[in-house]
Amino acid sequence: MGSRAFMVFLTHRGSSINPISNVSHLFLKKTPVQYKNQRTQKYFSTKAKSSLEPPNLPRLAETARISLTPDEVEEFAPKIRQVVDWFGQLQAIDLENVEPAIRADTEGDNMRDDLPQNFQNREAIITALPSYEEPYIKVPKVLNKE
Amino acid sequence: MLSLAQNPRLLRLQNLHQIPLKCLHTSPIPTPTPSPSPSKPTSQILKIRKSLLSRETTAVEIAKTFLDRLRRTEPHLKSFLYISPADAVLKQAEEIDRRIQNNEEVGPLAGVLVGVKDNICTSDMPSTAGSKILENYRPPYDATAVKKLRENGAIIVGKTNLDEFGMGSTTEASAYQVTANPWDLSRVPGGSSGGSAAAVSARQCVVSLGSDTGGSVRQPASFCGVVGLKPTYGRVSRYGLVAYASSLDVIGCLGSSVADTGIVLQAVSGHDKFDATSSKQGIPDFASQFIPSDYLDSKPLNGLRVGVIRETLEDGVDPDVISSLQGAASHLEDLGCTISEVSFPSFSVGLPAYYILASSESSSNLARYDGVRYGNQIFADELSSLYGHSRAGGFGTEVKLRILMGTYALSAGYYDAYYKRAQQVRTLVQKSFKAALEENDVLISPAAPSVAYRIGEKKNDPLAMYAGDIMTVNVNLAGLPALVLPCGFVEGGSSSLPVGFQMIGSAFDEEKLLKIGHIFEQTLQGCCFVPPLVANDF
Repeated sequence: MGSRAFMVFLTHRGSSINPISNVSHLFLKKTPVQYKNQRTQKYFSTKAKSSLEPPNLPRLAETARISLTPDEVEEFAPKIRQVVDWFGQLQAIDLENVEPAIRADTEGDNMRDDLPQNFQNREAIITALPSYEEPYIKVPKVLNKE
Repeated sequence: MLSLAQNPRLLRLQNLHQIPLKCLHTSPIPTPTPSPSPSKPTSQILKIRKSLLSRETTAVEIAKTFLDRLRRTEPHLKSFLYISPADAVLKQAEEIDRRIQNNEEVGPLAGVLVGVKDNICTSDMPSTAGSKILENYRPPYDATAVKKLRENGAIIVGKTNLDEFGMGSTTEASAYQVTANPWDLSRVPGGSSGGSAAAVSARQCVVSLGSDTGGSVRQPASFCGVVGLKPTYGRVSRYGLVAYASSLDVIGCLGSSVADTGIVLQAVSGHDKFDATSSKQGIPDFASQFIPSDYLDSKPLNGLRVGVIRETLEDGVDPDVISSLQGAASHLEDLGCTISEVSFPSFSVGLPAYYILASSESSSNLARYDGVRYGNQIFADELSSLYGHSRAGGFGTEVKLRILMGTYALSAGYYDAYYKRAQQVRTLVQKSFKAALEENDVLISPAAPSVAYRIGEKKNDPLAMYAGDIMTVNVNLAGLPALVLPCGFVEGGSSSLPVGFQMIGSAFDEEKLLKIGHIFEQTLQGCCFVPPLVANDF
């Protein structure tokens, strides 16, 4: 099922039989996404399309602050490479002059005034702390030895 | 137990893909089996309200019925990570009964048992988001959506299972347990709100809250044969929702009828000063959309323009799913809608764009689980080892993978190539939807490329798993509302499996989706979406 599902995206538009073409008043505007290079249109190909460095897993893990076991490195590396290659298909789309959308275009900001407010259930927060010595919250050592 | 012989609608849907569609309109519509007639989905919430106010029954009795069913079915399903102690539930029910006895006002959700996805904060219950890193975490506050439910009289019955932090499509990525599909226990309920969907499907609770970042309410609704509503981005406050991908996350509702999801949406909608992304748009009276079927004329949806998204019916989608969608389209046509086809050129590139955005945002959002501010701490001499070990021990595989992918996409020098491009694709997707919704009132598509698959089937292939989200992710990129409702069955091994379809509307037009959805389900003949597991109760 999985690999078959991917075929959805591989299909060249217009090549498949339209299963609902008998429903009345069909209209079909064929304005496919513009690709810089027609050869990259099969965008599910896992060939890298960019000159970007492939992921360096140990470095990523360090940046993300996740200690990985050697087994995990072995297991994750091909999966991450596969997904990052798949991400790479976006390099082939012509997006010049397209503004990025930071989120859904549904409504503008509804920012409240930037004023401090008291949280109502302060006691519950303090109770949840692993270690509290009035008025200090005790945390692990965050400064390393010289 | 549903069988072909008992379910004429099933026959009709199964044969559909073999018959040219125009034949459908001339062929006689099979008459529903007269007895036992599968009942139309009715609003459980309205039914409860009516029976309470007429003193026909009590909130305590209703709660006991649900708790009893929950106890019976939960060992098979494992849809809940936490179940409220019975006496706590009954105490709240008693209070409702007392108020009714004294002719005091009770809220529209009085006595309604609600399941809440475990990535939504509840002050009196753990909220783990399905992650070990939040094991035993008890938030000091209720999420705004939960607070509003309680103010409306609802009783929170427990916290439902999910893929860790909402990252997954099967609920197998929960750190605690795997939830089964009530229609076939060897199959997944979908995800990530799999627990919420399974619980409603098996009538363990009346309705539930889920969250939807890329389809996490809608796909499990389809897999479990329930109604799932993903509201417009900003409609419902996300204060108290554990953040996954903030530009996409919404809280949604699941119910066994369209009316129930609409009533829950009514209760949880609205601007919240604690969530700057929550909208100040007015909230319409969703309940006024629910016209009883007796009052409907023969073409109640006359003139409504429905667009079928062409790219959602191409190769790779199960033929049974396609024929179910065709069945739904022809049913809408019978109701008076005009059906046309819409082409959506950027549809397929929405999927990688979605995964870039979601993993990037998750890598940033999940930075807070460092063993210091949140999460189980694994002691180390040096701070970065403390972070690294705590996160390594607390996160599951899928979460680690997504954080690492997101870290890659956001690395210095790569931002323009990945995150920014994905945001540009989001612009294309938004424009495509806008254009399609100018020419159509609603758009329809399958909710997922397949029905529920077997537990374990896709566990080790991330891309195969991600592909299952193709029908739903674009809607999140555009922030639009969408309703998934069951429309038929597909033969799937031990029993028939339900299948749903998706209806997408313009921003803040949930009203239209609910209206169409309600008429659709009230006029759909011969389908009964109660799973065999609990069929004897109904």
